[in-house]
Order: sequence, then structure tokens, then C-alpha cells
Amino acid sequence: MPLDLSALPSPVLDVEEIWSRKMSRRAKVIKELVQTEKDYLTDLELCIREVVQPLRVLQVVDVDRLFTNMETVCEVSAALLNRLHVAMSDPDPEAVVIGEVFIQAKAALEDVYKIYCYHHDDANMSLKAYEKEEQIKQHFTICILALKKIYDQEGKPNLLDMGSLLIKPVQRIMKYPLLLGELWQATPEDHIDYLPLQEALTAAKIINVNINEFRRRKDIVMKYKRLENDEGTLRGKLNKINIHSLRKKGDRFAGYLKILTGVEPQVRDEVFDKEEKLFRSLEKAVRQLAKNVNCYVQYTQEMVPVAVQNVKDMENIITDPSKADTNGSSHKNGKDPYKYFKERMEELVLLPLTSLQGMFTAPQKLIQKRYDKLLDYCCRLERSSSFASSSSTTVSSTASPASDAPPGPAKRDYEAINALLVDELQRFNMAAYTILTNCVLCLVALLRGLMVCALVGAPAVHQLPPPLSNMVEVQNSIMDELNNLTFVKDNAQKLMERKVSFERQRDKKTVVQEVQHQTEEQRAWLLAEYPPNRLYQLKRKCNGCQEQDLSLLEGELVALLEDTDPLGSSSRWLVHNGGDKGYVYSTFLKQYNPLRDSQRANQKAKEQQQPPVITYEDFDDLSLFVSPSSSSMRSLSLNTTDSSSTLSGLQGELENAEEPEESVDDDTQQYYAVYAFHARCEQELSLQEYQHVRILQFCDLGGNKQWWLAEANGQKGYVPANYLGRMSYA
Amino acid sequence: MNWMPFKIGQPKKQIVSKTVERDFEREHEKLQKLEDQTKKLHKDMKKSTEADLAMSKAAVKISADLLSNPLCEQDQAFLDSMTALDTAMKRMDAFNQEKVNQIQKTVIDPLKKYSSVFPSLNMAVKRREQALQDYKRLQSKVEKYEEKEKTGPAIVKLCQAKDELRPVKEDFEAKNKQLLDEMPKFYQSRIDYFQPSFEALIRAQVVYFTEMYNIFSQLTDQIDEAGLTDEQRQKETEAKLNELRSLSIVADD
Repeated sequence: MPLDLSALPSPVLDVEEIWSRKMSRRAKVIKELVQTEKDYLTDLELCIREVVQPLRVLQVVDVDRLFTNMETVCEVSAALLNRLHVAMSDPDPEAVVIGEVFIQAKAALEDVYKIYCYHHDDANMSLKAYEKEEQIKQHFTICILALKKIYDQEGKPNLLDMGSLLIKPVQRIMKYPLLLGELWQATPEDHIDYLPLQEALTAAKIINVNINEFRRRKDIVMKYKRLENDEGTLRGKLNKINIHSLRKKGDRFAGYLKILTGVEPQVRDEVFDKEEKLFRSLEKAVRQLAKNVNCYVQYTQEMVPVAVQNVKDMENIITDPSKADTNGSSHKNGKDPYKYFKERMEELVLLPLTSLQGMFTAPQKLIQKRYDKLLDYCCRLERSSSFASSSSTTVSSTASPASDAPPGPAKRDYEAINALLVDELQRFNMAAYTILTNCVLCLVALLRGLMVCALVGAPAVHQLPPPLSNMVEVQNSIMDELNNLTFVKDNAQKLMERKVSFERQRDKKTVVQEVQHQTEEQRAWLLAEYPPNRLYQLKRKCNGCQEQDLSLLEGELVALLEDTDPLGSSSRWLVHNGGDKGYVYSTFLKQYNPLRDSQRANQKAKEQQQPPVITYEDFDDLSLFVSPSSSSMRSLSLNTTDSSSTLSGLQGELENAEEPEESVDDDTQQYYAVYAFHARCEQELSLQEYQHVRILQFCDLGGNKQWWLAEANGQKGYVPANYLGRMSYA
Repeated sequence: MNWMPFKIGQPKKQIVSKTVERDFEREHEKLQKLEDQTKKLHKDMKKSTEADLAMSKAAVKISADLLSNPLCEQDQAFLDSMTALDTAMKRMDAFNQEKVNQIQKTVIDPLKKYSSVFPSLNMAVKRREQALQDYKRLQSKVEKYEEKEKTGPAIVKLCQAKDELRPVKEDFEAKNKQLLDEMPKFYQSRIDYFQPSFEALIRAQVVYFTEMYNIFSQLTDQIDEAGLTDEQRQKETEAKLNELRSLSIVADD
């Protein structure tokens, strides 16, 4: 069949035809573009007028949350439309450049739509929440109906509800690439608008990609935050366990081990690493600073009141209540500057630092997540590379389909998180750094302020009286004067020696000073040598502390040689105890009354038998006036002698006397055993209950007054004194 | 019986006059109060110097930690600031130490020395009391003898008693006089003794704070280039915190 030449279009005409077809199509698209933009703008304006603004007035819903920045979107759209009109106004269709309009507008478009789209999900959720409330739903319905009426009037019935209003901007921005794409395809290549349109198209696509990315980041954070909340419970944790998660964890663990053993991960992001390091340093710095400042403020709080009080106390010591002592005192305003300091410190430094500290935790978790994703990704890469290498050895051309799929999601996740973190960590770090340095500066300023306040009211250094260079000498000389006061001299030494001897006693407990008993011969000698009025008796045991002091036992005799000591003290006497001479404090001594001893013994003996006899000798012994059996008076009698004399003391005297008792009636020494006593050894004497005994001695050979030498049934032996009772004859 | 051996119910004749007792008590009380004051002040001053040192150490820790932070490696400006801060803090610590030493020497040690006199005083008062008791006892004994009939043995006893009484009485009076003399002197000595200490204490504080002010003024000049006021800094900090809160990586529940 021969070709029908008339069917073939002529080449020249074709080009022209194509060109004109394109141009007409282009005009259509432009018209559509402009028209849709116009409609869109009208919709926005109406929505704002009929819905947003009335709702704002009503104040029943959070309008900003629902509509985000719709008003701004409206403005941008209006501007865009304006420019489109300007571009279109050129009568020559070949000179119309639409692409430029969009190129110039791309930044504004991205900014405004990014925000709107970012918050759109939130807005939808709030909308759903609001619609659950009847009252608010009513309001919405009213607004929508008003809007509907307008549309109906214009002959554009639309199915409207709040949701469809909210989604309009989202739909619009997604339309631009489509429209621009169509326009570009309709534009002949040699049209001046061709390249600009191409650029505009790319820009529109990028805008959409960015918006998506921006949303995606938020989604990631939300996802992991939600997971954390769920994971928190044990149940959540258990739910997570399945083969997939176990495998994932296993891989990760292997990854960690690899890192630990020094094998480098395949994927690194240096920018991220740098930011992360900075992040960690900042966290540490903030944490430590907060802690340290807190510590410092606390110490200041503790110290200051005490210090201020000290100055006041010192002043009080010096001042005489009767006359005021002026001395440029109380230079510190006390607590107030410090209190102010603390408050400001808390406000300016601690509060921001703790807020900042709190903000570190969420990013840290995300960083950890990123790390996990990184390991996953590396793991997959390895596997796929090993797979690929293994597969390359076996199968040549056909790449195993499995090698492509796995890196996909892991890579995507990792890269998403990484990008998010890199961007936001940078901003975080910068802001945190500023806050940190501000806090440090505030700290320094506060400290300086504190110093200023402390100096208020204080004299300047040169105004103060110059320091006494000889202060030490002055004080020392006063101390010397004080030490020369008699009462100090008298007692300080004794105190010192007492202290020293106490310490010595503590150190060497084994050394017990055995005090020599005075012998009978010594007593006899003293009695012979000295007149009675020079003889004294020890009221109680005296331990000599100073060098030439005597240690004497109670009841021992001494003769007074001197009634003053070398230092002139009249309370220390030089005495002779028949063997030695030495010093004794006079308070230990009382006049020796030789008669008293024996008489006392007699009296004690006769006490039970005779009616009280009035003798002149012994006023001290009130037992004269007392009935024999009354023991209370007996104790009174004891008290009127010396405070330190005891029953045993008296008995000691009885013993120390020349023991005239032996010549006294047996009856007088009659005691009886209140309880039975079993002798445990030879020296002891067994007694039966109520057995009569006669006491030979009221102490044992060692002077112990707890054991008495008793005689019964011709046997002698020691018996415990508290087993014995005195026989009283009626 | 024409005498009562002992008269129950009659008040004892005052051995020592009331005025003497009152004087003594007054002086003694003043000194007791002084003793308490010095003891308390000594303890408190020791406590406050310890707290002072702790406070200073805390301040040094602030700057030391900051200086050792890795931030300093990355940022030269930060390193410079922190070094300046650290130097200032260390100087503060040194001055504080010196202040504390000074106070130790001029106030705390003298306080201790002064307090060491009090035990002797207390002992002397006790002995005087003992002597007083002895005196009273013997005095009443003499009086008893004096009221008896003057028989031979009675007179002898009376003489003996009087003999016994005399040294004791003298002893007491000596002690009493001595203390009455010396207590006021002791009390008065405190003024001259502590005046220099007080002045030294104030001086130490003033010197310290003046130095500190200088140090911190210098430091402010060194590290604060922007020269903002506290309020401005606070606002800036607040703004930055808000910026942080708006980041999506920071949990904003």
C-alpha cells in the first residue's frame, strides 16, 4: 500500500503547531493556576472571617492551636497572587515569566507552610477533642453554616466541615509541584520561562520534601517518646519481647562489642560526633556548677550567722554594761547582705542551671537511640556487604534481592535521627553555652556585690587603728599579771600537778603508793616529845601531792612544827609524824585529844548499859543525849564530828586507840551472828545463826574493816562484819 | 539546868556579814559570766573558722571543676575566662586562709589562754568556801563554850577552842580578802586584754573584704565583655531556655 502523503503533517507546520499547542496549553494552565490560587485565597479569607475570628471572640477554643498560622498563610497567598497578576499583565505571552514568581516566593512559602503542616496533626487532634464537646460543636456548626450560606449564594456548594477547612493549606502546597510541573511541560523549550519554571519546580519539590522531613523528625521523637512511656511498665517491656526485638538486641550487642574491641563502625558522622562531645561537656559543666554553687551557698548560710554573732559576743565581753564602749563596732550589716546574696544566687544562677540540667535528659535518650540505629545500620551494611561479596563469588550478575531490602529501613531510621540530632544539637549546644556563661558571669557579679555590701559601714583600712604590733607582748604581760595573782599562784600549780598526777595515774595504774602506817612507837614518841596542844590528828586520809607533803592515814598522830609553809600560806603546816617531817594541809588536822579516844571507846561500850552520862569532854558526840537504841541519833552523832568521818572511821579510832577494849567487859563486845556463816578457810570462823560471839578485833590484819576477828566456843577466826549484829541488853 | 546545851530553833549568828557576802557574790557572778562568755566565744570562733575554710574550698571547687571541663579545650575564650575565674578563686582562698590564721593567732589563742585562769579562780573560791565552813564550825564551837559555866576544864576547853579557831579565822579572812581584792582586778583586765583582739578581728575582716572586692572587680573586667546588667542577663537566659524548650529533641510534655 502506498503511503498516504496527505496524512503526514508537514515538518515545519508541526513545529509551529506544537509550539502553538503548547502555548495555548500553557495559557490554560496559567489561568488554572491563577484561578485556583484566587479561589484558595478566597476560601482562606472567608474561613478567617467566618470561622477563625468569631471563634477567637468567643474564646471557647484555642484558636491558634486549631488554625496555627492560617492568617499568615493567607497573607503569603495574597502576595503570591498579586505577583502572579503582575506577571500575567504582560500582554505578550512569550514574555510572561511565571517561574520567577515562585522562585522569589519559595523562601516565604517554605517558612509559612512548614509551620502550618508541622502543627496540622496536632490541630486535627485538638479538633477531634473539641468536637466531643457538645457546646463547642454547636459553635463550629454555626460557623460552618454561615460559611455554607455564602458559598451557596455564590453558587459553589461545597461539602464543608472543620476538618476540610483545616486541610486546605496542606493540600495547596502539595498542589504547587503538580501545577508547576504541568506548566513546565507545557512550556516550549525555547521559551524564556522554561528554565525559571524548571527551577521553580525543583524548588517546590524541595519545599515539600523539607516539610515532610520536618514533620518526620517530630514523628520520630514522638514515636520514641511514646515507646518510652509504654516501655516504662514491666508489662510494656514484656510485650516488646518477640523474636524480632530479640534479634535486634542481639545484633546491637554484637555491635557494642565490636566497638569495645576497637573495631570502627563503618558509618561515621564527624559533625555529629563533635556536637555530641560538646553536648556531653556542657552537661557535665552545668551539672557540676549547679552542685558546687549549691554547696557554696549552703556553707555561706551556715557560717555567716555564727561569724556575725562572734563579733557581737566579743564586743559584749569588753563592754561594761554601765558605760558604753565605742569602738566602731558592728561593721558588718549582718545577715541582710548574705540573705540577699542567697536569694539572688538562687534566682540568677541556680534556677536556670537546674532548668537547663533537666533539658539534657531527652536529647541524651535520643542520642542513645541514634547509636542503636547506627549499630543496626552498620550491622546490615556488613551483612549486605558480606552477602554481596559472597554472592558475587557465586552468582555473578543477578544481585540477590535480599541485599537491597534490609539496609533500607535501618538506614532511613538512622539517617533521620542523625539529621535531626545534628541540626538540633547544634542549636542546643549554642543556647546551653550562652546560659552557662551567663550564669558564671552572674555568679561573679553577685560575689562582688556581696563584698561591697559587707564593707558598707566599715571604716576603710587606713582609717582603722593600726594593728598593735606589740599586741602579743601586751597580752602576755597581762597574762603574767594575772598569773601573779595569789589565787592563781596558789592553785594553778596544784591544778597542774593534779592534772599531771592524774595523767600519771592513768598511765601507770600499777604504781600504787603504799602509804606507811604510823607505828605505835612513832605515836608513843610523838606523845612523849610534844605537848598535847601541839599534837594533831588526821581527820581523814591525806595524800601528799606536792614534794614535801606527807601522806597520812586517818587517825594518825602528828605534831605541829610550823603553822605556815615556806610560801607563807597558813593553810599548810609542817608536821612530824614520828618518822618523817612534811607538809599537810591544816584542814586535814584536828587537835589531838588523847582522852577522847579512850573515852569514846568507853562510851561506846557503856552506851548500851548505862544511862547517858553527861560529860564535858565530848560535845561532839551527841549520843550522850540520846537513848541507846535509837540508831538515827547515832548517825547524827557521827555527822557532827566531821563530814568525812564515817562509822568505820569511828571504829577506826576505836581501833587506833590503845585498845582498852580488851579490859572492858566481855559483855560489851557481844555480838551475835545474824546469819549463819560458813568458813571457807582456816582463818575464817564458822558461825551458827544467832550464835554469840565475842569480837577481838574490828578489822583484819590488813586493816580491812569488813572482816572482824571473832571468838566463839574457844575458837578464833574472821567473820564478815555484816553478818554480825550487836547484842542489845534491855 | 540553867543552860541549854544546844538551842534548836535559834538562827545562827552570822559569822560573815551580809555585805561581805554580797560583795563577794557580785564579783564572783561577774567572773562566772565572763567565764561562760569566753568559753562560748572560743568554741564559736573555732566553729566559724572551720566553716569559713570549708566555704572557701567550695568556691575553689567551682572554678576548678569548670576549668577541668573539656569545654576549655575546644573554646579558647572559655578557657581564658575560666582560668581568670580560677585564679581569682584561688586568691580568695589564700586570703581567707591568711585571715583565718590571723584570727587564730590574735583572737582564738588569747581566748584560750585567758580562759585557763578560771579553773584556778574556781578552786580558790572553793577553798575559801571550805575555809568559811571550818570557820563557822569552830566559831559556833567557841560560842558554845563561852556560854557554859566557867569551870576549870571548861575554860581550858574554851582556850583550846579559841586557839583552834584563830588560825582558821585568819585563814578564811585572808582568803576572802585576797579574792575580794583580786577578782575585780581580774575582771578589769579583760578590757585591756581583749581590746587588741577585737581590733584585730575587725581589721582582719575589713582587709579581707577589701581585697576580695578588688579581686572580683578585676575579674569582672576580665571576663565580662558584654557588660550586661543582671536583669539583661536574666532575660537572655530566659530567652535561651525558651528556645531550648521549643526544640523537638527536648521533651516538652
